[in-house]
Amino acid sequence: MALTQSRRSFLHDAGLGLLTFSLAGTQVLLTPRQARARSADLRVLDASEVGILEALGEVLVPGAAEAGIAHFVDQQLSVQPNDCLLMARYMNIEPPYADFYRAGLQAVDELARRLRDTPFPELDEVAAVDIVRGFSNSSPEGWQGPPAPLVYFLLRSDAVDVVYGTVEGFAKMNIPYMPHILPPRNW
Amino acid sequence: MAKDQVDVVIVGAGAAGSVYAAVLAESGKSVRVLEGGPPRRLDDLYSSQIWARRLKWATPHVAESGEHSVWPNFNSGAGFGGAAIHHYGVWPRLHEDDFKIHSRYGRARDWPIEYKDLQPYYDRVQEDVGISGDAEAEIWRPPGAAYPLPPVPVFPHGETLARGFAAMDMQVAPLPLAILTRPYKGRAACIYDGWCDAGCPTGALANPLVVYLPRATQAGAELQADSHVTRVLSNRQGDRVTGVEYADAAGELHELRAEVVVLAAFNIENVRLLLNSAGDKAPDGLANSSGLVGHYVMCHPSVMVFGLFDEELQNHMGVTAGQFLNQDKWQKNGQGEAFGSRQWAIAQAVKPNDFLGIAMSRADLFHKDLQRFMERAVKSMAVMTAITEDQPQRSNRIRLAERRDQYNMPLAHVHYTTSADGLLLWKDVAKDGKAVMAAAGAGEIWNGPQGGQHIMGGTVMGDDRQSSVTNAFAQTHDMENLFIGGTGVFPTSSAVNPTYTLHALALRSAEYMRDNWASLVR
Repeated sequence: MALTQSRRSFLHDAGLGLLTFSLAGTQVLLTPRQARARSADLRVLDASEVGILEALGEVLVPGAAEAGIAHFVDQQLSVQPNDCLLMARYMNIEPPYADFYRAGLQAVDELARRLRDTPFPELDEVAAVDIVRGFSNSSPEGWQGPPAPLVYFLLRSDAVDVVYGTVEGFAKMNIPYMPHILPPRNW
Repeated sequence: MAKDQVDVVIVGAGAAGSVYAAVLAESGKSVRVLEGGPPRRLDDLYSSQIWARRLKWATPHVAESGEHSVWPNFNSGAGFGGAAIHHYGVWPRLHEDDFKIHSRYGRARDWPIEYKDLQPYYDRVQEDVGISGDAEAEIWRPPGAAYPLPPVPVFPHGETLARGFAAMDMQVAPLPLAILTRPYKGRAACIYDGWCDAGCPTGALANPLVVYLPRATQAGAELQADSHVTRVLSNRQGDRVTGVEYADAAGELHELRAEVVVLAAFNIENVRLLLNSAGDKAPDGLANSSGLVGHYVMCHPSVMVFGLFDEELQNHMGVTAGQFLNQDKWQKNGQGEAFGSRQWAIAQAVKPNDFLGIAMSRADLFHKDLQRFMERAVKSMAVMTAITEDQPQRSNRIRLAERRDQYNMPLAHVHYTTSADGLLLWKDVAKDGKAVMAAAGAGEIWNGPQGGQHIMGGTVMGDDRQSSVTNAFAQTHDMENLFIGGTGVFPTSSAVNPTYTLHALALRSAEYMRDNWASLVR
């Protein structure tokens, strides 16, 4: 391609205003992994929701928490639906997508509290896997939220995105990325 | 409200709209293309499955009911290029019997044209676009000129699955693709990196940004992004359209007057516009004297069949569409209980994530089970995808919902349930696919859930104004200066990917408009 890297970076950064995080009031471009490591501000989700999302992401795809699933999802929920990169748009979820995520995360946590008397983020690995298995195929009795299999499918997709769908993820699996236009910042 | 005037206004800058725009602008008409989505350029197309989602529709929301989804977001597009900017470029032709399934089999309805009417346009489009393939090897192919480009190369993934077909006494041929295997008309050849779904920034995979839109703009057509058409305007007598009303990015309404209007905004949006343009003379919507605007929506039932092999397959190499084609079970009747054709596209290049990615092939796996699966599958998973024919049903319908969008326009509501024949074919073809995988030597074999590819119908064409919305030139029966572009005019679905056919239809209709301009203008 004839584009210079600086132009590509400009285009991408402009297009992905999505990747702008706030650090102590300053706007910076970071990957979600970096954003998490540097405790960038969250825009949509609260601390409790982030805790559930990271714990759930880690159960779905190990490494998702550190890869920044919470910051990725949070940032995508803060942009207009037509700019959003979450798989939720493929599943014809009606915007605002944050409603779906909040309700889904709360339902997961309530399920853990009801069945294990423990918030989901505090479950041990075996118990957390068991809880996820329990709602992955059908909505458990008493489930309050969007259809449980849809919550499982979409959050699993987000976790897959941040762990496997990036340049870094390809490299870890030893798959050549072979981009025409490399997506800067991993996305 | 600002007013303006052109010869032709085209709603939608996708596949069909771009063909109309090129033909009409080159004939000297003043053409304006109003696109509801953003302007797109080739250098916007980042190689990323995550990025690729922005190419597809998110709003306005489409409400759905019925037993199945038509996947209105995944199957659509927004912005210059429309859905064709991220399509995979599988370009087989419809077969001769597809046009006459009522006459031949007593099923569904006939098209108002025959294959021979469309063949010259197929031939010309493939020269414009540059299709690769091997016409002789495609033993199922109807008559037509040979492809201008040789087939895509075969990688171990394709070789392995081809062995499975051979072991089952089934034929494969190179997949006919709108993908360049050699430099062609100033465009570069493909490098087989599998990023087709993210949009092809080199232009090796044909999309409107590299084929018809440049021709249109060079001839003077204007492309106007972020212009959301809300109504088609008509005259007092209700027998002609006079232009369109649209909202700009700031929400301000404008009126654009035109001698001819072409709706090429995807079939869901086309129907929404026609129904939302009801008036005193057309209380049920424009061009709807038949009462059929919105009806007979179809979607190809699809299945992905997967297998894990012991050897490495280089499944990341190639193109998203695949390497081989099989249409052995094309014969519409006499092959089991179901009526209709089936098609396999074989050996798709795969990425780890996204809707059709490796991880989603086993959506039931998570945690360490998923990790173990991924480690193996990224090297040795094979995949092939079948689509089957869907039968048109009047009950499958696009209508207006109660709720409204930001422009105070009712949302679209799609009711869809796959036809009984389509469901039977789906089950049958999934079984066939697993047998092929086994014959190819796969260990673990499984298939994905029922998917839906390509939305068709809603403004079907026909000879009879009582039972169709447009005539054979996609010109509405009710209003001679209103044309419909896209798959909405398909009366039946066939079992091939529709983009080639919609191009051929658009070329035929646009040239008809050009050649009969005097009769269309008063």
